[in-house]
Amino acid sequence: MLRVDTTQLLKGVLDLAVLAALRDEDGYGYDILRRLRASGLEDVGDASVYGTLRRLFNAGFLNTYVVPSDEGPHRKYYALNAAGRAELERSGKIWHEFASTMDDLLRERGMA
Amino acid sequence: MNDTDTDQITAYVEAVRAALSGLPDATRDELLEDLPEHLAEVAADDVGTLVDRLGPPSVYAAELLASAGYVGGFPDPPAARTDHLAEIRETTLRRLRIADVKTGPLFGYERASDFLVLLRPAWWVLRGYLAAMVLAWTLDGGTQPVGLLPRIGGSEVVAIGLLAVSVWASIWLGRRSLRLAPGPKYALWAGTAVLVLVAMAGFLNADSSTRNSYYTDVDYTDPYSHVQDVFVYDEQGRLIQGARLFDQDGQPIRLGSPYCYDPTQEFSDARPAPNELTYPYCAENAPFRMPRVEKVVPTPTDAPPTAEPSAGASAAPGAERSADASASARPVPSSSR
Repeated sequence: MLRVDTTQLLKGVLDLAVLAALRDEDGYGYDILRRLRASGLEDVGDASVYGTLRRLFNAGFLNTYVVPSDEGPHRKYYALNAAGRAELERSGKIWHEFASTMDDLLRERGMA
Repeated sequence: MNDTDTDQITAYVEAVRAALSGLPDATRDELLEDLPEHLAEVAADDVGTLVDRLGPPSVYAAELLASAGYVGGFPDPPAARTDHLAEIRETTLRRLRIADVKTGPLFGYERASDFLVLLRPAWWVLRGYLAAMVLAWTLDGGTQPVGLLPRIGGSEVVAIGLLAVSVWASIWLGRRSLRLAPGPKYALWAGTAVLVLVAMAGFLNADSSTRNSYYTDVDYTDPYSHVQDVFVYDEQGRLIQGARLFDQDGQPIRLGSPYCYDPTQEFSDARPAPNELTYPYCAENAPFRMPRVEKVVPTPTDAPPTAEPSAGASAAPGAERSADASASARPVPSSSR
């Protein structure tokens, strides 16, 4: 049986979501998770965000730097670099096209 | 953040690490590098335990693995190698399939393999024959040249029996091989490949020896090369002097060399005109000799029946006896070398 759930959808767009969450402000892992949840992606998992950050970093889209913290451990901050911004731009366009295609498809059948 | 948190984090990270034991160490270390710090942030939120908030470590590990893209993303070297091999295999098979379809019409079939499948029983028979040949050649120790039958010790009965058994066994094996397990099937294929290679070598060998036999069987050595002089005797055992030899075309037969070596007179040059060459050149060197009865020889033809038999009987037959006789009569250099 075909089923659309948010977790499945998230897998496809988590890269884009994480890149977008870092567009205006650098952040550390748990910080980014909180931003995504605050934006409405309640189902996003901690491990997914952490894993996505590792992968985007390995792919060369992110820079990192460590900030000492007064209370608690040092925090590793992630920041978009030029390649990351270009990727955000590109993926954002693809998402808009895809989303509008889906919107049109549903609207034509009176579902939206 | 307190010690309990630290212990909790360490335990959680170790559990995640254990769940990721399938990854190469370097990849796993790299993936988990920042996890303690990250979990410390989570723990700092201070609502429940890590397991309450993040779920079991094994689930966390699975989600991490999926999102970090290490499944097929950055595989460990051995996996990469098998992927590479599988890729080569896939490419080869695809090309074979294309060639299969393209060459099919040449045989009047949709695919060439449709035609080749029909030849399978014929191949079984041929394989049996090749196996018998290789077996016979091995058992025979390679002492005999390879022929067309799988002879052992040159026996035809054995050859035909071996051939029949081998062909039957090959057909039986062929019918069974269609439903063999992969292991025995690969073993059969490997054996077949070896058999084909050995048979090809044997075939080429037999072919070249067949083609070359015309030349190798001819003996170029002249059995008369050692002849230096020719002595002709009549049926009574008398040496004929001044004999001439001709072949069927009337061409004079030249044998030996017209020189004599006389121990007393050194060399005597007995070189007449070529068409006047008569044998023997050197009558003194005759291997068989009448014991000094030459005087009797010129007598009329009536006389010999009375005088000859005793002399002829003792001189003519038997080289050794005659040699003894000549040696006793007079020391003659039997060889002019």
